[in-house]
Amino acid sequence: MLRAAVSPAARRIDVHGVLLTASLLVLAVLWLAPALWVLVTSLKPTPDIVRVPPEWVPWPATAEHYHEVLLGSSRTARIGRAFLNSTIVSIGTVLVVVLTSAMAAYPLARIRFPGRNIVFAVIVGSLMVPNAVLLVPQYVLTQQLGWLSTYQGLIVPEAAATFAFGVFLLRQFFVTMPGELEDAARIDGANAWQVFTRIVLPLSQPVLAALSIFTFRSAWNDFLWPLIAVNRPEMFPLPVALALLRGAYSSESYGPIMAGAALSALPLLIVFLVANRRIVEGVRLSGLKG
Amino acid sequence: MGEATPAVAERGPLAADRAVRASARAGRPRGRRWRATRTAYLFLAPGLLLFALFRVYPLIEGLRLSFTNARLGRLTSAWVGGANYARLLEDTRFHVSLANTFFYTAASTVPILAIPLVLALALNRGRLRTLLRSAFFFPFTLSVVTVGLTWLWLLDPVVGPFNYYLRSLGVPARSWLADPTTAMWAIIGTTVWWVTGYYLVIYLAGLQDIPRDLYEAAAIDGASAWRSFWAITLPLLRPVLLFVFVTHIIGSFQIFGQVYVLTLGGPGDATRSVVQHLYETAFQNFFQFGLASAMAWVLFAIILAFSLLQFRLLRGHTEF
Repeated sequence: MLRAAVSPAARRIDVHGVLLTASLLVLAVLWLAPALWVLVTSLKPTPDIVRVPPEWVPWPATAEHYHEVLLGSSRTARIGRAFLNSTIVSIGTVLVVVLTSAMAAYPLARIRFPGRNIVFAVIVGSLMVPNAVLLVPQYVLTQQLGWLSTYQGLIVPEAAATFAFGVFLLRQFFVTMPGELEDAARIDGANAWQVFTRIVLPLSQPVLAALSIFTFRSAWNDFLWPLIAVNRPEMFPLPVALALLRGAYSSESYGPIMAGAALSALPLLIVFLVANRRIVEGVRLSGLKG
Repeated sequence: MGEATPAVAERGPLAADRAVRASARAGRPRGRRWRATRTAYLFLAPGLLLFALFRVYPLIEGLRLSFTNARLGRLTSAWVGGANYARLLEDTRFHVSLANTFFYTAASTVPILAIPLVLALALNRGRLRTLLRSAFFFPFTLSVVTVGLTWLWLLDPVVGPFNYYLRSLGVPARSWLADPTTAMWAIIGTTVWWVTGYYLVIYLAGLQDIPRDLYEAAAIDGASAWRSFWAITLPLLRPVLLFVFVTHIIGSFQIFGQVYVLTLGGPGDATRSVVQHLYETAFQNFFQFGLASAMAWVLFAIILAFSLLQFRLLRGHTEF
């Protein structure tokens, strides 16, 4: 083996590497401990939750808190409904963002037309505008449209907030696509829409997936906009319902709150486990092209 | 988070452009060009409508509202000139919230820039990179409310595990969130836990884009690891650092969720932030839309000034 030929100095460096990895592993476990504690708490019977010293194995385990927040008393019956609301809003937002930003990014990348540079500059420039600045006027507008406490009142502003990032990301990708397939399709008589839907979109699946996950995450987790745009409890998405759940219980009853928190983390945990690479790629793209 | 992305360098002329121009020259130029323009704007229409209605219009409308006495339910609002801005000069709670937000931003900048960078450098050296990256990234998939509730429970003064383990190390237990000297630090710690993984991924990608042979050349020249870090890593990482810095500053000035869940701005007004003050002014305290809009524009001006300053300071000429 090559190892035999490695000098003592190199072997010492290898020891350093192992030590480094080992200490990073310990740190990673500590880093995840708070999240694990949420899960452990949600599975403990109420008397065990506040027991000191902290017990990290929830035994005997119970599903009573999940039962309570999903099906139980009226003050918490919202979590099941909130889960449904969040699902509808997040999927709706993803659909609107992917469709509108792909359609907008395509001509910005592939067609030369008057006004192109200005339109792109304005869209990208809007990324510098903080969401908090638009809060009040957006509320006034949503109210005038009669959209308070509706799904569209959550989906459309949320989609508008992510649209610019989507255009930026997708244009970057479309620009680098080779043009031969499009040209061939055009020669075969395909119009621009057919080229877009049959050639461009299928070739863009990876970046569309990254954008979808990015959008889903921000829609699923958004808190401030739904906090003001929804005032009917049955329309609350999860973060708002959870924040209010905290108020509904005295601070000692952490069980149901932690069960709600664990439930709210579940969809993104699944996405994260299935499409880890895609998420990382999305974050990478969001940062590096700047 | 993660939405702010600085301006992009425009690419050179595209193959497709050249093709369009060439065919425009060949065929009936006017008709071709007009058709291409029409197609482009038809594609853009749905997005631009969404963008104009929910991004551009609210921006302008917010500025207009800041010069009126608009309130919820008041159909006609009167022009009041700079009265709202004048009121902000006297609003001591606004001043406190501004000071808190500045403190939060300043105090969180070093840990949020440095911790993910140190982790990224370590991960880049060692093994199990993907596994470790995933572990640190996980909290970033959670909502700010879930993160806040997690730390609320961990930091519970009586039965929370954080105090228990500190006590076993000999550190006296305390009510981190109820003590005005520690509450903001607890919020900063919570935020570090939440966003470290996000910046870690960005730094790691930046590190992997640095050509390996630069380090090899430096090693041959006898440069220490420390010297390589200062001479190669840091300069070449400058665009990434700038992105992280700007993103963090824009995010920090808008801090809301952590405060809302952990302290509601308390104890007293010790952790009250600008956006929280804005939220309460607009949606809890007589719905003063005009005054809240003035706050929003003051905040916008501050964020813009800081972003431009950062671009100035950090842009440099280290393109590679």
